[in-house]
Amino acid sequence: MEASREYVFQKFAEYYQDPSSVIPATSRPEQREFGYLMFKERFMVRHRRFADFNNFRAMLSDTVPSDVYHSCAYYENPDYDMDKKCWLGADLVFDIDADHIPTDCDKIHDEFKCAKCGFSGRGLPLEVCPCCEATKFEYKTWPCERCIQSARNETAKLLDMLENDFGFSQDELHVYFSGHRGYHVHVENEVVRTLDAMARKEIVDYVTGLGIAVLDKEAKEPRRKKGAGAKKFSLHDFGWNRRLKLGMAEFLQKATKEDLKAVGLKNKVLVDDKETIIKRAINEGKWESIKGVSVQTWLNLAEYVRDQQSSKIDTVVTTDIHRLIRMNGTLHGKTGLKKVEFPAKNLQDFDPFTGAVAFKKGKMKVLVSDAPEFRMSGETLGPYKNQTVELPVAAAVMLICKRRAEVAQ
Amino acid sequence: MESALSSEDFAKYPFLKQASKQIEELQFTIGSLASEKPIFNRALERVNKAILDVNTGEMVKDRATEISSFAASLIIIIATKNSWIKKRYALAVAKTAHTQMLQPGTTKEKIESIAKDFDWDIADGKPYKDFRIGFSVYLKNAAHMHGSEWKLVNQIMDKGNVYLNKDKVVRLLQEEVRRRVEKRLDVSEIKNLPGEITSIAEELMKLAQEIMGQEIEEMPKIVIQAAFPPCINALYADAAQAHHLSHIGRFTLTSFLVNIGMTPEGLNDMFKTFSDYNERLTRYQIEHIAGERGSGTKYTCPQCSVLQTHGVCKNKDDLCRSIYHPLRYYQRKQKSLNSGSNFGKTN
Repeated sequence: MEASREYVFQKFAEYYQDPSSVIPATSRPEQREFGYLMFKERFMVRHRRFADFNNFRAMLSDTVPSDVYHSCAYYENPDYDMDKKCWLGADLVFDIDADHIPTDCDKIHDEFKCAKCGFSGRGLPLEVCPCCEATKFEYKTWPCERCIQSARNETAKLLDMLENDFGFSQDELHVYFSGHRGYHVHVENEVVRTLDAMARKEIVDYVTGLGIAVLDKEAKEPRRKKGAGAKKFSLHDFGWNRRLKLGMAEFLQKATKEDLKAVGLKNKVLVDDKETIIKRAINEGKWESIKGVSVQTWLNLAEYVRDQQSSKIDTVVTTDIHRLIRMNGTLHGKTGLKKVEFPAKNLQDFDPFTGAVAFKKGKMKVLVSDAPEFRMSGETLGPYKNQTVELPVAAAVMLICKRRAEVAQ
Repeated sequence: MESALSSEDFAKYPFLKQASKQIEELQFTIGSLASEKPIFNRALERVNKAILDVNTGEMVKDRATEISSFAASLIIIIATKNSWIKKRYALAVAKTAHTQMLQPGTTKEKIESIAKDFDWDIADGKPYKDFRIGFSVYLKNAAHMHGSEWKLVNQIMDKGNVYLNKDKVVRLLQEEVRRRVEKRLDVSEIKNLPGEITSIAEELMKLAQEIMGQEIEEMPKIVIQAAFPPCINALYADAAQAHHLSHIGRFTLTSFLVNIGMTPEGLNDMFKTFSDYNERLTRYQIEHIAGERGSGTKYTCPQCSVLQTHGVCKNKDDLCRSIYHPLRYYQRKQKSLNSGSNFGKTN
């Protein structure tokens, strides 16, 4: 194991010592806190200030950290203790990680092992060990393409909201592959810089669709005047109401009775009269003209659409105004891939297993315990089970980082 | 743009930057303040009304006096060195301005001019509403307000703008005014105050003590688990069964318990009984939250809306619907337990 860690360390060192490795400077480096995880000692160095980027590069090549971060916050004194830093503002950041979202691969490639009794298996994280009821597990995750695709879809929804609802131009949205199983979006704009945690929480609630008034089934209804009709369902044409409308039309357009059933909607009128519903109810707003569909059913449908249209961001990251975030161009200690920026419009086309590859030369012989099929730099590799193979360096580094392989003796 | 504001407006809204310029021109000094009787008396009335009724009383006819009395009132308030009075006064000024702005005679142009005094990104909201404002201006003022109608997710939002009618804009401006006045009062001391002002400040402190005494609701002296809100019960149960708590979950549970009066020792003893206990880490976190480490700030527990955002709010009950903070739930619930009333139940 030691030899394997040493090998990865050497590769990281080569990357950081090579002047041709592209590590873009952050904006306003003199106002940011930098932090990094020591490769061998496994502790986090924090509260560092690098006003001069050359000093930062020198630190990287001397220290060779396993992970490198900078604050999304700007401070008067970024190298002081937290309560003396004097916060000036922060970028608005979003983190979308496959770890936090349901994916259609069901994380079948992830492995867990109970720390107490050793019970092991594959799939989603467990809360309690079925054997000994312990709650601590060791996990081996895997950056699978379907996981990354799920994260990409969530990112696409986020970007759409940031552009259309929040009015940011594509140039203002910095989009990154995180280096592991997800994406980061940074907004470095004067307009958002001084927003406090509560204001950012409202942005999070907007992105996740939390608290939409029309969907609140428990809301106390205002007292109705005598003769007024039953509770009505209606949506206007902006922001989330518009999203719900478009989403309902899109869903109904394609939906079969089985699709409806799968999401808990039993009313067959929704399928039988879908054309009328889309035209009269959704487009013209005459919801009550559709006979046989209750307000409750409209609500259930809208709620399902909300879950589809919302973006599953990590709520804590965006609301934390002191957050440290992985630095662009640095390596991810769990994969050896780079965090790398690409234009927002290329989200669907950017291939992390090409574009985020840091080690492009050489081969390495490793003993792989277990790895599913995967791609690296255009090559399809695996699956492997207890076998020694010679792999491109990037693939060997990733398998070692994921504790799926060791350097072959 | 030419300002739509007149000198009458500066008397109504003396906190505006342009009104401050007029005060500078009037040139009264701190030393002469107590002898400028009309200004001084009006300033005192402002402060008294603010403490008693959270407004600033009737304006006097002479505009110069009215505008100057605002500046004078700030000096008197700073002299009290009392944060409750400062907050109360800022709120009173803001509320009074809110009432003024809601008057039918206050034109859209006037409101726009006032908003621009606060550097708002504001314009006509045609064809949807009276105004449109930049979403970050909206959030700076609305994010701390309670109620679903203020949530960003429920606004007409398009290309970075929030579309709002006059009543909402005016309510947001109230927040802006309150913050500006609070900032202007954020001065620890004024040197060489005339003795008369110092003794008046002492009188005001006494008055404030009386009002404050009526408003503060005490926490019960002992910990009453039956009054815990459902979110805290859920966290407590998870912790007791050694389930993994998220960082925010652990912070919520600990800060709640610290705030209802559990001592760090008591908390540590309680966490010890849980199977997933790490003494060093737990003690550090508890002491940090209780303000015995680091900056010395005692952390309060997050409010309901924050817990909802992070998925910590669970098993909402009827009482939850009428409160905004887990600690408030605790106070109200223990009160109803004590009195045996049906408080918190709905009809």
